[in-house]
Amino acid sequence: MPITILPPKAFRDQPPRRNLNHDSDDVMSDATSDSEDSDSQPGGVSLDGGVTIHPRKRRSAAAASSTFTKRPKTNVTSSVPRSAIVTPGERITTDPQWMRGHGTYLSSASLGEQAITSSLAGIVTRTNKLLSVRPLRARYTPEVGDLVVGRIVEVQAKRWRVDVGSTQLAALPLSAINLPGGILRKRTETDELQIRTFFAEGDLVVAEVQQLFQDGGAVLHTRSLKYGKLRNGVFMAVSGTGGGGGVVRSRRQVWTLEAANNGGPIDVILGVNGYVWISKHVEPVVPEEAKGQTGITNLEEVVSATMYSSQNDRIEPETMREIARIRGVVTALVENGLRVDEDMVTKGYNEAVELALVSADGPEDVYLGGERGEQLAAALTAV
Amino acid sequence: MASSQHVLLSPAELAYLHASLSLTPPIRPDGRSPTQFRPLVAETGILPGTNGSARICFADGTEAIVGVKAEVERTRTRHDFPSLDLDEGAEDDDDLDDNQRDVVKGDNDWVEMTVEIPGYRDDDAGTVFLSAMLSEALLADGEFTKRLWINRRFHWKLYLDILLISPPLSYPLPLLSLTTHLALLATRLPRLKSEGDEDPLFDDDWAAAPYLYPRPTGKKGSKKAASAPTARPPVTLLVMAVGNNIIFDPSKEELAVADVALAVSVGESSSSSSTTSTSSSKPTAMDLDTEETKGHNLRLLSVRTIDPPSRLTPPGIPNASNSAYGANAGAKDTEKKKQQQEQARTAESEAVEGVWKAPRGGAKPLVMAALVQKVLEKGGVADEVLDALDGVDLN
Repeated sequence: MPITILPPKAFRDQPPRRNLNHDSDDVMSDATSDSEDSDSQPGGVSLDGGVTIHPRKRRSAAAASSTFTKRPKTNVTSSVPRSAIVTPGERITTDPQWMRGHGTYLSSASLGEQAITSSLAGIVTRTNKLLSVRPLRARYTPEVGDLVVGRIVEVQAKRWRVDVGSTQLAALPLSAINLPGGILRKRTETDELQIRTFFAEGDLVVAEVQQLFQDGGAVLHTRSLKYGKLRNGVFMAVSGTGGGGGVVRSRRQVWTLEAANNGGPIDVILGVNGYVWISKHVEPVVPEEAKGQTGITNLEEVVSATMYSSQNDRIEPETMREIARIRGVVTALVENGLRVDEDMVTKGYNEAVELALVSADGPEDVYLGGERGEQLAAALTAV
Repeated sequence: MASSQHVLLSPAELAYLHASLSLTPPIRPDGRSPTQFRPLVAETGILPGTNGSARICFADGTEAIVGVKAEVERTRTRHDFPSLDLDEGAEDDDDLDDNQRDVVKGDNDWVEMTVEIPGYRDDDAGTVFLSAMLSEALLADGEFTKRLWINRRFHWKLYLDILLISPPLSYPLPLLSLTTHLALLATRLPRLKSEGDEDPLFDDDWAAAPYLYPRPTGKKGSKKAASAPTARPPVTLLVMAVGNNIIFDPSKEELAVADVALAVSVGESSSSSSTTSTSSSKPTAMDLDTEETKGHNLRLLSVRTIDPPSRLTPPGIPNASNSAYGANAGAKDTEKKKQQQEQARTAESEAVEGVWKAPRGGAKPLVMAALVQKVLEKGGVADEVLDALDGVDLN
């Protein structure tokens, strides 16, 4: 069957963060009914004596007047709905007992009254008396020490601009890369002139955030044998998933996975920014003349020799198949709102290999989209 | 013309993708089989203010909405040839009854299609090209506009608003085409109460409104006989070739390494009209009516080549000529540099394994023919896509 067409899902069954579109009505009505039914509703006595008016009700009121009217300003919720979607600028509460957390700001409502207002489109969450808005989708906020995968989008005189899925492009200065052959010297004009031989537009790099600017822009460096240009594999972006899904910071972002079905070792790099690189694991080739000598500096020379290559090694079809399978696993994890880390990917991969064994096409079947992805996610969450 | 957007991929990625897609069978990055489409979620009737609407959402988040609106418009009479229409009508009158004096004819102006892609101007070349391809497929056989005919003085004017809601993560043509197809299938026009050439008067009852494309198994509003094969709106499929492999519904990354990419519009027509209708003036759009069996009666409506972004990609640099690679990096003396340059020259002309090289030259006619053949195959992809679209609940 080349095409599967599914009916739209009821969003009721799903975790709130997956409400990316359109069927948000359901969630809102859920929230309404929840907060109405339960006695544990926060807020206690509403200070302004008003009735809690939830988005759903406002909506229907607007619909009743058959024209799209702006929400009346008097409809200030004095208590906080449990998990309603709020939009930027939407007042969450004027109740002074709440503290504002991430994704909110204080705005003066009327007569010196302070209202906590959302600065994001997301779900209101509360931790004791702290109100925060968890974004539905978020860009990556760099932090020093993060391992990121980025794509060079611009080459400037002394630096590269790298897309890391953040609000701004990150900078990779020429002085922050290893020169080929592990030579340690000052960067000269010659290096500046041939800056494109190191990285050109479109190239993928794995790097580390070295420094942050005031405005949140990142400066990267690749001064380690672990970092540099990426080849022999596939790229995928799972960035932008807010609220727990996607790549999370963990102990190990890079590891080598022993693939099933004669796939050989496969490297997985999970950039904290949600960019993922899955490639064949290549042992550094030690040239003949260097075989006799040993030492750390020698190894550095050998490894960094291949650092700026854009030529792929020979990759067996078996390896390619397993790479595609791992990519499918990551996609399935993201689509089902699960976190992506070493543990989940490894478990998911083993599960996927088992799934393929029982599939009609045998172990060569690497497709993990649609229902199979859900099956995989179900198997993972059940454990 | 940039008919498909430029994607930024590194030469190493391109080389990997090309290598994996050239295998037999090809290994697609998302593990699909060559003829498999991305799983999608579809629903119709989402916009209450339209005559028909549909929404399709791919698992990766690309999503499109199509709304079809109809309004009654007075048919323009040609002032330079005032009696032309009437004359033709009169000629036909000789053969037909008085009741059947209406010669159903359509005009391409009766359909207005707008495509909106976020981040692109509506006069952007890519957007215009998309809308041209979609409307071309719809109007190609001239049968569609005949459905909009009310009487000799009035007709329906159909506005198709095609909106891509998400940013275009992949070339949106198949998505937009499938959504338009569903929206047109779900389109209903009010039932006509008036007769002949008088001012049209319509039935208020929406439940009685017939579908624009009457359905054989329809419960309500289907006028035609239950078993008669009905025509359906066209579907435009994106097909590409890498090496000897033919791949359907390519993602953005796959399209970036395509040797050839084709947009093939396929329609289904009722058996009676398929033989008589003439296709449009395009030389490629020949009628390839397949024999009638249990499958769909497929017709090729139009073929367009899509300029694959692969041609604009920068080539990879083989290690041999890479000055930042290995032993070359330290090369200071001119002797070595000269040698390198010579190597670089040979490397530019020859393909090196593992190094990306953009495809050059035009598409081979044999490959193009194979692509079209693959689409139109009995029980092939187009057949199954139409079957699957049939399964969508229309309301």
